[in-house]
Amino acid sequence: MTKHSNQTQEENLDVLEAHLAGTLKRVTPSNDVVQRLRGRIQIPTRSEITLRLTDWRRLLLIFGGVMSGMMLIVTLARAFYYLTGRKSTI
Amino acid sequence: MSELDYNEEEVLARASQGDRDAFGQLYGHYVERIFNYVYYRTGNSHDAEDLTARVFQRAMNHIVNYTDRGVPFSAWLYRIAHNLVANWHRDRSRKQEIPIDDLPILPTKGDHPEKNLVRSQEQESLLKMIRKLPPERQNLLILKFVENMSNAEIGRIMGRSEGAVKSLYHRTLLALRDQLEDQNFNFEGE
Repeated sequence: MTKHSNQTQEENLDVLEAHLAGTLKRVTPSNDVVQRLRGRIQIPTRSEITLRLTDWRRLLLIFGGVMSGMMLIVTLARAFYYLTGRKSTI
Repeated sequence: MSELDYNEEEVLARASQGDRDAFGQLYGHYVERIFNYVYYRTGNSHDAEDLTARVFQRAMNHIVNYTDRGVPFSAWLYRIAHNLVANWHRDRSRKQEIPIDDLPILPTKGDHPEKNLVRSQEQESLLKMIRKLPPERQNLLILKFVENMSNAEIGRIMGRSEGAVKSLYHRTLLALRDQLEDQNFNFEGE
């Protein structure tokens, strides 16, 4: 009885495998989908920006450049304000 | 370069130096597999398309960091896909969306329509059952049946030994069988 039951359960596993093979079949995306995806992944700006961001030396240089530029702008603005402010108070 | 001339090592080396054409070859070689994987994990083609694109975008952005340490490139790609699918499931559970399954249940030629209908219903319930399994068991079934991979190949992708994959597969089958028996699933098939 137990032997028969075990045999049936093993048979059920074989049938289940056959069902799985019939259900989980490979699907083929259409050419349109493949081309559309190709177009999406080759957007140059986005990937180039990300690649640039992974380069820490370049990132440091950009950061340094931005900070220097800001300092220069602030200094010029202060100098201009100092000069024009002085004139107006006299 | 045709698919026959495809030399993965060489293509990978060029792609990791920023060669877009080489990455295009990797894309051509793997897009269908990744799409299938994501398709069966998400259950709909729209999200499968979106997530497949994100898998390759992420791969392209990080390919410079990929180094072959005994882990095949396919395993690296599947890992990215697995993570994105996990995030997708997490976001979806937060949004509490109602799932719309559109997995194809293709009828077999020459069968009676009634028989096809019964078969489709059986396949649908089996798919629903598969999607309720833990992610690693779903991965295993997809790689085994959709990709026809051996236990050794699946082991390389999942980071497990061949024996562990075999054991996990057997446990998955037993769990599925028990669940299906509870639902009075027709194992005879006819």
